[in-house]
Amino acid sequence: MSTENLSLKKLVPHSDAPWMSSIGRFVALIFVMILMTFLTRSPDQGFVFLNIDNLLNVVRNASILIIIGIGETIVLTAKDVDLSIGSIISLTGVVAAIMMNKMGLSIPVAILSGLIIGALLGLVNGLLITFVGLPPFIATYGMLWVLFGFAYLILQGAVVYGFPEAFRFMGNGRLFGIPMPIIVMAIVFVAAYLLLNHTTLGRRFFAAGANPEAAKMSGIKVNQTVIIAYVISGFLSALAGLVLIAYSNGADNIFGSSYLLPVMAVVVMGGTSLAGGQGSLTGTLIAALIMATINNGMNILAVPGTWQKLVVGTMIIGAVLLDLWIRKRK
Amino acid sequence: MDGSILISARNISKSFPGVRALDKVNLELRVGETHILLGENGAGKSTLIKILSGAYAPDEGEVYIDGQKVTDFNPGVAQRMGVSTIYQEFNLIPYMDVAQNIFIGRFPKKHGLIDHKKMHADAAEILNSLNMKVDTRSLIVDLGVAQQQMVEVAKALSIKSKMLIMDEPTSSLSERETEQLFATIHKLNSQGIGIIYISHRLQELQEVGDRVTVLRDGQFIACKAVNEVTVDDLVSMMVGHSVDEMFRRDYQPRGAEFLRVENLNGGKRLQNISINLHSGEIVGLSGLVGSGRTELARAIFGVDKYESGKIWLFGKEISDHSASIMVEKGVSLIPEDRKNQGLALILPVAENIVVASLGHLFPKFFVSKNKENEIAMKYVTELRIATPSTTRLTQYLSGGSQQKVVLAKWLCTKAKIFIFDEPTRGIDVGAKAEIHGFMNELVKEGAAVLMISSELPEIIGMSDRVYVMRSGKIVTELPHTEATQERIIEFAMGADEIKKNRKQAEMAKESSK
Amino acid sequence: MKSKTSSFLLKVPSAAWVILLMMIVCTVFSDKYLTLGNIVNIIQQNAVLLIVALGATLVLLSEGIDLSLGSVLTLSGVNCVIVMLYLSKLGASNGLAMILGVLAGLLTGALMGALTGGLIAIGKLPPFIASLGTMGIGAALALVFTDSSAIYIDNPVYVFFGQKLDRFIHLSLLQYFSMPTFIAIVIFAIVWVILYHTSFGRYIIAIGGNEAGARLSGINTVYWKWMIYVLAGVLAAIGGIVLAARLQAADSSVGVGMEFDAIAAAILGGTSFVKGKGGIAGTILGVLVIGITRNGLNVVGIPSLWRPAITGSIIILAIVFEVVYSQWRERSK
Repeated sequence: MSTENLSLKKLVPHSDAPWMSSIGRFVALIFVMILMTFLTRSPDQGFVFLNIDNLLNVVRNASILIIIGIGETIVLTAKDVDLSIGSIISLTGVVAAIMMNKMGLSIPVAILSGLIIGALLGLVNGLLITFVGLPPFIATYGMLWVLFGFAYLILQGAVVYGFPEAFRFMGNGRLFGIPMPIIVMAIVFVAAYLLLNHTTLGRRFFAAGANPEAAKMSGIKVNQTVIIAYVISGFLSALAGLVLIAYSNGADNIFGSSYLLPVMAVVVMGGTSLAGGQGSLTGTLIAALIMATINNGMNILAVPGTWQKLVVGTMIIGAVLLDLWIRKRK
Repeated sequence: MDGSILISARNISKSFPGVRALDKVNLELRVGETHILLGENGAGKSTLIKILSGAYAPDEGEVYIDGQKVTDFNPGVAQRMGVSTIYQEFNLIPYMDVAQNIFIGRFPKKHGLIDHKKMHADAAEILNSLNMKVDTRSLIVDLGVAQQQMVEVAKALSIKSKMLIMDEPTSSLSERETEQLFATIHKLNSQGIGIIYISHRLQELQEVGDRVTVLRDGQFIACKAVNEVTVDDLVSMMVGHSVDEMFRRDYQPRGAEFLRVENLNGGKRLQNISINLHSGEIVGLSGLVGSGRTELARAIFGVDKYESGKIWLFGKEISDHSASIMVEKGVSLIPEDRKNQGLALILPVAENIVVASLGHLFPKFFVSKNKENEIAMKYVTELRIATPSTTRLTQYLSGGSQQKVVLAKWLCTKAKIFIFDEPTRGIDVGAKAEIHGFMNELVKEGAAVLMISSELPEIIGMSDRVYVMRSGKIVTELPHTEATQERIIEFAMGADEIKKNRKQAEMAKESSK
Repeated sequence: MKSKTSSFLLKVPSAAWVILLMMIVCTVFSDKYLTLGNIVNIIQQNAVLLIVALGATLVLLSEGIDLSLGSVLTLSGVNCVIVMLYLSKLGASNGLAMILGVLAGLLTGALMGALTGGLIAIGKLPPFIASLGTMGIGAALALVFTDSSAIYIDNPVYVFFGQKLDRFIHLSLLQYFSMPTFIAIVIFAIVWVILYHTSFGRYIIAIGGNEAGARLSGINTVYWKWMIYVLAGVLAAIGGIVLAARLQAADSSVGVGMEFDAIAAAILGGTSFVKGKGGIAGTILGVLVIGITRNGLNVVGIPSLWRPAITGSIIILAIVFEVVYSQWRERSK
């Protein structure tokens, strides 16, 4: 038992309690993958699920969820929820799209602008929450509607499509045979993991989320810390938006709207506490893979899109209930 | 004789992890008496009260109400049997009016809807019987603490309680409001209602108490009639061992001035506070609960804003003031409420220890878990914190160990000024002595300590000098050679006040008979 | 004299000032604004929002939140119409079909509210995540039941409940009145009685103001908290049924985002998200702010592309203003 601990310590988030659930989640992932493999077995094509292209598909779809989920995990660790992620995705995607296609600006400018806008929107969220004192769910939910409104305005009801090849590489291309979204996700994950678990800023996130009053009395600038967390969430949502439009080669004004529920489900399933102070990036990663696997399975089985939404909604509730039950038993 | 006993607790024992809160304690309340429950912080008063009101179940012992043994006790049952408890945090609803709060859950109805007219009339009647002039339509948020307390009393009366348990009722009241409360208590007694009254204010005994039960460290010490004991007797019962045994201070000459406060005014209470603190000394800050000590500590530390005044740190006047600045400059505050203000319970011990020192421990932004655990381990060993590892979540530690983690956090910052607010409250004797030992070491190595405490032996045994606060002002500064319990209590309550109140109480008792 | 006016000013919710400001601006920009017809229009178009906002207000008073109200509204309207069509096809009379359809809609609202409330009160889930989940489920179900398209209905008895009254009773005064407005007024009165004259209403405030204290005073906080969400669900359902009557169709996209308007209306009306402070009288003002904003942008001639963005921004700014204003009010007491 003890040698197992040492080798699996890499997967372990920083405190001794949730490590067991990381293992548990990993097991759940394997289980779900096996389940899907058999459920989607087709008589003439065999184990469709295990097809390498399909598996890469799963991971690539999970990558978007993970990038956004990382931002949400960080925000939840430091404070509370960010419900505006879908709209930041859409708005920054739209702005970048317009910049490249209609304004003829260069790709780096478009990408940089998108990222900066995402960060600024996160800043607005942070200010509404810390200085005005709005509860996070009201502030970010309000921003959601405002930002979708702006996305609609900027696009003027049209759809933008057809981006330059170099830009599309970010969504379509492959490096060493691995799709770019996965590579972007891996870089973000490593950076975020280091940030959250191995830097002073990360420690401040945990302190501010676990007990803001005690953190303040320990000399931590709590408001500043919370704002930074929201800026990161906005930034990562923007990044996800850019990858998404690169992949789908088009942008409309609501393409990010379907991500809110899945991201919340994934973050909660991953063990991040909604109360603050406990965030597991690894858990988010595994949960996203689980969800992508289930989505993929449903797609292969041609389950109608609306039923898929039902599954996601139920998954959130199930995940939170399970999480609460586990916490109570400790 | 038995018919005249309202509630009686016999051989009550109760333990919590790591602490034996009550050990075979007895308490008895007679019809029409006010029975004072006296004891220092941590003596077990709150636990006993919670057992009497049905909130906790005792591990051993029984509770009898009206001569009947109670089984299946809970707050609802307690209320129905006539026991009403008024805690320090009231159970009132802020944005509902007085009448609704009094009759909550029992609204008078007409045709299925609330009969507002009757409700307000009944409420006014009860309040009148208490000589309370409050509009039954005022919202609770708009009332002062004393009035809110009266609403709680009215609530208890409206359910025809036979006994009232009041937990430190005068801690937030002004002197005049306290007197009104006493008058009310006398009235209730004359109606046969018994009152259990928790306090650690010795003065109040003379005015309202008929009998007093003293607890110390969870033990029942004595139950006496108020007119058969002196203040000195009570103090020695509350305190127990002689002062010299418990604390041994190594006094040393004091060094440079580390902290100076001049003419600080702030918050609701603080008036014209001037104190100073030097390297190598422990300065005690004494006073009754509510005298403003914690407010002063928070104002100095930068958590609360103050209106006027100057603060000098290490000889330099500070212009910018906030908790993070003070921490950077080497000031620390170990708060009274260590769980909610001193620790993040869901985080591991190691993280709680390093959280205030992140800047100087890890100047290059990156945190090495190994280094973090090493540093934490150093303090765990040094302070003898009872934990299997530094990665254990802080919530699983005992109260004493948690307090040590808070101390470790500040030691780690290499702070030079330590402000302790009730450092050993609710901690067992062994850990207490350890913490005092650490404080001794701290000042030996040149730090300065300001210690707020409600435990007189601690103040007297540990301090080089003692400031006494009363109603937001510093009323005196005593060198340790002159700091005796009597003198401190005298100043904490105002010597002349005691005499005046004694006279008035005698007159009140005469007139209500 | 000075203290009297200033204490009166302190009591007026900020929404009143915002309304005044917007109306002045709109009047300046368009002479078509300050007509009786336009004012009536505003009221009629927001009757449904008022009904839903009442539910949101009650939830907010209990220190909770319900993000699912929009999809409950949609789903209830959808179920009502589907049941009506189905019964009509089976040969039932218009009246009977309508009654059963309405019951189906109300039941939908009650069940969804029970689900949300159960998760929150019994499951102890944080309200926003529980209601986010049920919002997803409700929206998904609406899509499934309508097959993602609109369903039309022309049951005259039913449609009556969405129309202007002067179509049926020929009194010119009644041209200013529509059934939805009338229903909204009736519902407002009912909720008023519930909130201020029943134990349930008082328990809502108690749970929001001091839940622990309420429990220690003997109130079954779990049960009553649950009921608050059921009631909010039923109110949203009523809104959905009336809206479907007015549109003469059930559409899975109607209620999207309405929960935000409803919650915003409650906040702008002075209901605080903590401590049980506020009430439903202010919610009318809050609904007016939102209604006037949308109407104003229309009348003044702002292009429709700009409207969602500007509306959303104005609402957020109004909320910020209200929060800051009420904090200022607290300090000047």
